[in-house]
Amino acid sequence: MRGLDHNRLASAIYGLAGVILFLLLWEFIGRNRVLGSTWPAFTDVVSYLFDPRRNGLFQRASTATLSKAAGGFALGTFLGLVTASGVHVFPLLRPGTDRLSSFLHSVPAIALAPIFLIFVPRDFVGMAIATMNAYFIVYIAATSGLNNSTKSHRDVFTVLGASRLHRLTLLDLPAALPPVVTGLKYAVSAAIVGAIIGEWFGASRGLGVLIVSAMQNYQISLLWAAVLIITVVSLVFYGLGTLAEKFIYRRFT
Amino acid sequence: MTDILLNSKLGRLLLNYWGIILLIAAWQTWVYCADLNAIVMPSPIDVVIDIFSNLGLYLKNGTLTLVLAVVGLIAGMFVGTAIAAIAWTSRITSGLLVPLGLILSSIPIVALIPILARLLGYDIQTVLAIVVIISFFPAFVFTSAGLNALPPGSSDLFKVFGANPVQRFVFLVLPSAVPSWMIALRLTAPPAVLVAMLAEFLMATPGMGGMFRDSLDDFAMDRAIGTSLIATAVSTAAFLLATYAEGRVKDRWS
Repeated sequence: MRGLDHNRLASAIYGLAGVILFLLLWEFIGRNRVLGSTWPAFTDVVSYLFDPRRNGLFQRASTATLSKAAGGFALGTFLGLVTASGVHVFPLLRPGTDRLSSFLHSVPAIALAPIFLIFVPRDFVGMAIATMNAYFIVYIAATSGLNNSTKSHRDVFTVLGASRLHRLTLLDLPAALPPVVTGLKYAVSAAIVGAIIGEWFGASRGLGVLIVSAMQNYQISLLWAAVLIITVVSLVFYGLGTLAEKFIYRRFT
Repeated sequence: MTDILLNSKLGRLLLNYWGIILLIAAWQTWVYCADLNAIVMPSPIDVVIDIFSNLGLYLKNGTLTLVLAVVGLIAGMFVGTAIAAIAWTSRITSGLLVPLGLILSSIPIVALIPILARLLGYDIQTVLAIVVIISFFPAFVFTSAGLNALPPGSSDLFKVFGANPVQRFVFLVLPSAVPSWMIALRLTAPPAVLVAMLAEFLMATPGMGGMFRDSLDDFAMDRAIGTSLIATAVSTAAFLLATYAEGRVKDRWS
């Protein structure tokens, strides 16, 4: 037992050292202009990011993007779960729904944006694309997870005369929880990416707007700072997702 | 009765594709009934006509993006595998690199495209570099996992027969990483096409992304949608090919 803990501690130290080395390398390249003026030092990006004069700008942009991502995540998750439950109860509908979903998923996100622009106001395009991205992942996770319940459990439900709806809510959905939580973990990142791409098409504010305008106007610090926010936010949510996943797997399997 | 219907060719077609058929029918009906101008929204028929009357243009840009995606994918997988192999050789390198690779592979790569574009310049090589980078991380992460997932007891067997470390790596470790490697390929192939298109779109370089951008600027919605459909087809084909390859490898390996 002690040996195991020791091993895990060593892994954590190595991992941390790897990240620190990466940041030092980033700093070194930036300080010495190894890759020219478009690669700023890590500390420069951080101090630019935390400059009090820019607090408002970054706060507004982050709130805008994250609320689009959150709205899309919630709506996409809801649609994914409802559709997956629907095709689970009516299996005849499943092959067609599978193909429609993967077709919609393989349409490039930038191609969806102009089409969504016809239906929703400019500032909702990001949320629409986030919804599509989250929907697909949750749908795939839920359709495979709903078949997780064991045959003997299903037989018990059948013998006791449970309706399809009862079996779905009391047996199949709880059994699908672990893969669905894994799906949700990936759906968060997908929703953030969707919100950002949607913002490239005329949104009034958001991190996606900042990134593209900084790229086109050569505002290198602004560009890196906005990307750093997105990176850190995604990593935090990914970490939270991993924790939730561990908890659910321990509880349900 | 329903069995006969489902077993016929038409029945199976309807069963599998009713969603997509319904979508296209709704699109055609909507454009027709709302009497939309083709600048706002062309009908599916307009799009098909545009594709067939400009086949050369679609083929030229489609091939360019596909070549960039495939070459970048192969290069990225190769570099990712090589670095995973280097990391595997010692506890220190794998301890340092594998967690970092895991962290970097879970950040949204789309956000990095503008940085890479600024860093490397707006041109076709940058599109290639972006595809290399997005294929690198899954290749590295999955190959690293595969290199450590040896069949139980096999490592001892190699030791008993006196295999040296190089032999052990070439004949045992590398082959056992192949199934994970194929998962990385399946996961990366469709995004490789789409990310190449996204990079072309942002930098306005030639290819499907550039063509899409030009069409939007010219209000040629039929061409924009045509380009998207071709991109969808290419990325779906990439996914199906990679899934097929993965299945073949799985049969052979287990």
